[in-house]
Amino acid sequence: MEDLAVELDSIKKTYRIAGTRKKKTAVADLSLSVPGGEIFGLLGPNGAGKTTTLKILLGLVYADSGSGTLLGRPLGDRSAHKSLGFLPEQPYFYTFLTAEKGLALYGKFFGMDKAELTKRSKYLLDLVGLAHDSHLTLDKFSKGMLQRFGIAQALLNDPDLVILDEPSSGLDPVGQKEVRDILLHVRDEGKTIFLSSHQLSEVENICNSVCIVSAGRSVTEGELADLLKVEGLTRIVLSGEVDTATGPLGFALNARAADGVTRFEVESGDTYRALEAARGMGLDLVSVEPYHRSLEDLFLETIKETAS
Amino acid sequence: MRNVLSIALNVVKDASRRKIFYVVFLFGLVVLAVSPLLPSFELGATAAFLKDISISLTSLFGVVLAVILAVTQIPGEIEKRTIYNILSKPVGRAQYLLGKYLGILVSLFGIMFVMSIEILILLGAKASMFSPVILQGVFAVFLEAAIISAFCLMLTTVTSIPVTAFAAILFYFLCHIKTGFLHQKLVTGTTGIVKVLAGGVYYAIPNLENFNISQQVAYGGGASATYMLRITGYAILFAAVFIVIGYAAFRRKDL
Repeated sequence: MEDLAVELDSIKKTYRIAGTRKKKTAVADLSLSVPGGEIFGLLGPNGAGKTTTLKILLGLVYADSGSGTLLGRPLGDRSAHKSLGFLPEQPYFYTFLTAEKGLALYGKFFGMDKAELTKRSKYLLDLVGLAHDSHLTLDKFSKGMLQRFGIAQALLNDPDLVILDEPSSGLDPVGQKEVRDILLHVRDEGKTIFLSSHQLSEVENICNSVCIVSAGRSVTEGELADLLKVEGLTRIVLSGEVDTATGPLGFALNARAADGVTRFEVESGDTYRALEAARGMGLDLVSVEPYHRSLEDLFLETIKETAS
Repeated sequence: MRNVLSIALNVVKDASRRKIFYVVFLFGLVVLAVSPLLPSFELGATAAFLKDISISLTSLFGVVLAVILAVTQIPGEIEKRTIYNILSKPVGRAQYLLGKYLGILVSLFGIMFVMSIEILILLGAKASMFSPVILQGVFAVFLEAAIISAFCLMLTTVTSIPVTAFAAILFYFLCHIKTGFLHQKLVTGTTGIVKVLAGGVYYAIPNLENFNISQQVAYGGGASATYMLRITGYAILFAAVFIVIGYAAFRRKDL
């Protein structure tokens, strides 16, 4: 059987709304599996239950029911946390400490000795581009620098599983690329990365598999390549914004007109028919290509279907 | 144990950068400022009065500092979410709570040690008197502050900073008047329910008057070693009870 880094089975969590007897469901019935050695993305709209799910994994919140494992140990078993790294959504650290002292504090919790800690801290601060700022207190750091520090502390114990909540938050495009490279490097070392992100392009670029959650339930889960693959469809882009609902292009699928172009998909067997129809309408062809959904398409379609 | 010590050390570092420590020096300055107003330092009675007022002021500052230090620890960390990055590591909630409490105790001890030195210098300068018995009085104040901080830490696991601070003030006064009002109700209560209620509260809360030895320190040779041992055990018992109750509430708390 495949080694799973994370497994959740029918997790439920409700919170009581302050000042009332009413309860709000944060996670309704969530099951997911994260294979070891992969980058796994947890996606979902705001309020879908992503943060609560991460907190349950980290032992910060307790599920009402359901079960799960973290690195093969039951949820709540603190020994699993020795091989766990975590980057919170916002950089929440003791800002009166310097980057070096901050890493020293966190390193002690993993039982690292001074020599090991010094060596590892130096390596990581260099890796995230903070080698020259290690003596500054964290309150002098910009948001991007704090995010880099957060990544360094998440990797401090050379973890087998790294849980990241919005890892590129606050970073400029160069910083985002650097973080992406670090994550791929960590994955190549055989570690598992579990990330929650709103940046779909980032997830699409680096994740092997994803789980889309909506209203506290897993609505789509699987390998990204399989989820994005669409057999037998062609995407056509035409110049000009036209209504395809009626007329010769009435058979077009998922048509949308914006930014001076009209995009739609057709069954591959209808490609020439569509091109003829477009020419008949006096529209110029911009592009025609086999259709592959973007993660954004998949995400929006999934959320739309769930809502309906 | 390493985790507890690391968290405790971090509390001390955090406390030392706060302005709380300046209060200590302010305390010294206030005492020094008012001492020339006293009539005569040649008289032993005045020196005793000086000792008495110093211990009383230390007690006041000690209680205030204990409340300030304790009420902000856990709610502050939850609000700033720094707690996430500690408890996601191999740190148990019991270790976290104990580390916080130990850090508060060390901070209070440090502050009160400085206060003791200030009092000793003041007595030496103004009354040409070296009076190490003052350390006994300050230690009793420290024990009182240890109970109050444990009480506050317990409450902050379930409620907010303002509520805890208010409750701490009530607790302080209740624990000081219990020997008077409550004991009187316990002994002379006319109805059974009054006696039961008074008795329940009387035995459930600590008697903070036990830690008020300013009279013995100021006007006598101090409290006996047996008494000091007894109140130390008393303080440890109540602090432990409060911390255990706090842990029971914090153990499964959603953060």
